[in-house]
Amino acid sequence: MILWVRQLDQLLRGRLTTQEQLDEKGVDVSSPGLALVLILLGGIYGVCMGTFAVAGSGSGQSMQLLASAIKVPSLFFLTLLVTLPSLYVFNALVGSRLTFTPFLRLMISATAITMAVLASLGTIVAFFSFTTTSYPFVILLNVATFSLAGMLGLRFLLQTLRKLRVGEASTIPAVSEERLPPVQPISDEQLSELTSELKDSASATRYVRQQPSPADRVRKVFVIWIIIYGAVGAQMGWILRPFIGSPTQPFSWFRPRGSNFFEAVWSVITHLSR
Amino acid sequence: MIVTQPLPILREPTARHPAKLLMVVIAFGLLYGAVMGSYELRNDRLLQVMFSACKVPLLLLCTFSIALPSYFVLNTLLGLRDDFADVLRTMIQAQAVFTIVLASLSPFVIVWYASGVEYPLAIVFNGVLFFISTLASQMALIRLYRPLVTRNENHRRALKFWIVIYSFVGIQIAWTMRPFIGAPELPVRFFREGAWSNAYLEVLHIIGQAMGR
Repeated sequence: MILWVRQLDQLLRGRLTTQEQLDEKGVDVSSPGLALVLILLGGIYGVCMGTFAVAGSGSGQSMQLLASAIKVPSLFFLTLLVTLPSLYVFNALVGSRLTFTPFLRLMISATAITMAVLASLGTIVAFFSFTTTSYPFVILLNVATFSLAGMLGLRFLLQTLRKLRVGEASTIPAVSEERLPPVQPISDEQLSELTSELKDSASATRYVRQQPSPADRVRKVFVIWIIIYGAVGAQMGWILRPFIGSPTQPFSWFRPRGSNFFEAVWSVITHLSR
Repeated sequence: MIVTQPLPILREPTARHPAKLLMVVIAFGLLYGAVMGSYELRNDRLLQVMFSACKVPLLLLCTFSIALPSYFVLNTLLGLRDDFADVLRTMIQAQAVFTIVLASLSPFVIVWYASGVEYPLAIVFNGVLFFISTLASQMALIRLYRPLVTRNENHRRALKFWIVIYSFVGIQIAWTMRPFIGAPELPVRFFREGAWSNAYLEVLHIIGQAMGR
């Protein structure tokens, strides 16, 4: 456990994602270990989030603490579960070199960064939950912390992706002088044959060259994915609510379905300004 | 085996055995179909899940086999008959890519259904995912065709024809094989009654009605 927490610390410091380190070993973390740390950190933030329910102005339901502690890690894992298969497939389709295990490690690391930031903001959320009576304010505060944590995690993802050089062909090992074939003189006939062959392959490469490089396409796929990840995460949060617990409603594990996250945030903002 | 197959299919234009590729098409098609049919899941709608699961691979295989003979003739006319074994393998691989992409998008369908959307929106969402998978498989097809095109420029012309005829046939077959999701208030059926109509005439009819107003 301590080893995995240390791994997360190294990740946050950026020591595991220096260019030399990545060239040598890739993202060198343990996916199951980090996943465990993730669950713990998510649980901590969930408890902080649930404190509004037990604070003076909440509904006083202590079950909300437990519910939120389970829901926050589930939110992240379910969102990853939904969005990872398609990201992996498209990533492979556009010609990335990233295979499944390194891919999984990269994604878990990015989520770990997000969670670490989120958990570190937990105390602030708990403090405001105790001191504020406004339910809409607490909701918006949580939306803000989730967005901030998400943005930092995704920035890490894009930066590491660039350093991983997923679009380039694997490095060609240096060839020593002796192993090269000896130079042989060739006749004019052979020369003209070779030239025409070269011309053919040149026209073939021109056709290939028009395509953008794999690195660009992989990056594009990830950027599109980030937008989808955000939208799915927000909607997943909406399906799993309540996280905070409305002061006017009794405790329940889930609320009836319907509406969506974006509509709800808008209505909370308009309520706040009234 | 089914799980490890897709990874190399996506990356490389490999000379794979067509039977294995067909297995991939069927397995991943079944997977997506089952998810697609799980709208408003109740006990009396379990049959719909099975129907929808069967329909996706059926849709692909029917479209493919109906469009294939004319494509074979076209290839022969353009003098590409000698390459047809490679062409066929490439086409089947593109079908495999289509189903893999579709299956990888299936978790989104679960989230979409779990958000409690209306029936028409459920249809639209599945349509969008089919469209995305089509684009991805066309992209893969064009890439897989590259070695063939360098061998003979006529392959590019043939490919254009394939894309047109495949979509033309596919749309009509999809229309005939309705319902893929099944309206929750209607009884579960494999085919909808009166489904044997023409998709293009239907569209013309709707446009006509809209203009008339």
